[in-house]
Amino acid sequence: MSRLEERYRLVLRLLPAAYRQQWEDDMVAAFLDSMDNDDPETAAYAADYGRPSLAEVASIVSLAVRLRLGGPDAPARSYAWGQAVRLATLMAALTHAVMVTASVAVALWLSGKIAWLPAPAPAWALTPSGSIWHTAWNLAGYAWLPAYIALVLGHRRVAQAVALLAIVPPAVTTAVEQAATDVPLSVTPWALRLTDVVLVLAMAVFHRDAPPVPRRPWLLAIPIGILLVPLPLFAIQATSQAPRLLDWPGLSCAIVAAAIAVHLAGRTPRQPARTLPWSLALTLLAATTLALRIVTLPDYIDQAQRTTLVTIAATEVIAVLTMALPLARRAIRALRRLPPIPADAQWPTTRTE
Amino acid sequence: MKPCRPSRSRLALYLVIHYIRWMGSRAMTEPAFFILTALVDAPRHGYGIVADVAELSRGRVQLKIGSLYGALDRLVGDGLVELDREEAWQGRLRRYYRLTERGRDALAAEAQRLAANARLASTRLSGRRNPITGPAPS
Repeated sequence: MSRLEERYRLVLRLLPAAYRQQWEDDMVAAFLDSMDNDDPETAAYAADYGRPSLAEVASIVSLAVRLRLGGPDAPARSYAWGQAVRLATLMAALTHAVMVTASVAVALWLSGKIAWLPAPAPAWALTPSGSIWHTAWNLAGYAWLPAYIALVLGHRRVAQAVALLAIVPPAVTTAVEQAATDVPLSVTPWALRLTDVVLVLAMAVFHRDAPPVPRRPWLLAIPIGILLVPLPLFAIQATSQAPRLLDWPGLSCAIVAAAIAVHLAGRTPRQPARTLPWSLALTLLAATTLALRIVTLPDYIDQAQRTTLVTIAATEVIAVLTMALPLARRAIRALRRLPPIPADAQWPTTRTE
Repeated sequence: MKPCRPSRSRLALYLVIHYIRWMGSRAMTEPAFFILTALVDAPRHGYGIVADVAELSRGRVQLKIGSLYGALDRLVGDGLVELDREEAWQGRLRRYYRLTERGRDALAAEAQRLAANARLASTRLSGRRNPITGPAPS
């Protein structure tokens, strides 16, 4: 076996075992055929030092996502994981959409654009930026709202492209600020950008085989989410100092812990398989928020209120763990009850037309 | 008086109809169309299909191996393509695939659909009034 073949087979390990059993040798033969060369010296060099191109690897990754995180025709476990990642992606994108929509309303109010509301306190008032480019740059973060709507409406590639608009400008601003000014180096903005990039990549689970997103509930979730999270948060912040100690990772922990509590309270104990995708999705979100909370802790070292902040962060971690651990245990138990994919089984296929 | 609630069977029927409509609304993908076209005249192995699709599409559709087998496993599963034979070549086992009768029918139906669409667009374009030269000659 040549080194090239070894490398290609290593990439193919991304595919489920049952699928590989059926197609691997054929795929390897086709790939090696595509790398053949009439010149024996070039062919020998490619066999030793050649690697599958990035496009080839991407096509395998895409196939692996479709098979492992499948649609309704996939094996039960693949479908459960697929639905879980789709729900987690929708919930994360919804959170972004809700927060940016609320922040647009708050920014308009603070800059005096909403005349029918009482004027904000002078300390809160916003002064508009003089440069239109600066304003447009800051507005890029609001692209999460159209990205979420595109995802719900089934335009996955549009959603990914628009979401990138929301990620790149803040990343550039952070890089410039940290490189060119005396702003202390901070983990938080980079950890947030990284989770956003993961979110954009996760949108790939809305592939051709995935069932369409139920539009009405997910679109209605935007105004409901605004009423439930940012509006009360802003009202409390306006009257009290305490909630200002809650940063984005902390807020994410609070939202996820509350969502798990609601899920556990409302789930039907006799039908764990039905609620399994939600349980898995919330477990995934809990793991992500915990990781985000923990990696951003070093940013508190330079803060004046670091003892208070670390205490709050520890409380957030405990709250998420308390909720997420029993949920994860139940989810894993329900997942094990689903029929496994036998290694020698023919991989179920989906419709072409 | 009991409130009017949809029965479970009616709900299941609604879900089935919705599912069938969703599945039916999906057109054949371009790679699947070209793969079937490549198999019309003779059975081909994996790379043979890739090369023929590139030639048929004048280089526009360059199938990667992952994309080819992603489409091929669906076509085999749907009974549009089947295994023809296996041949050893330079120490590799090549599997040749051929078009089934069902695949031929599906390809013919898709070709007719595309041709009808193209005719419709051509008819509209030929009948369109040119602002400088007036209506196009019939």
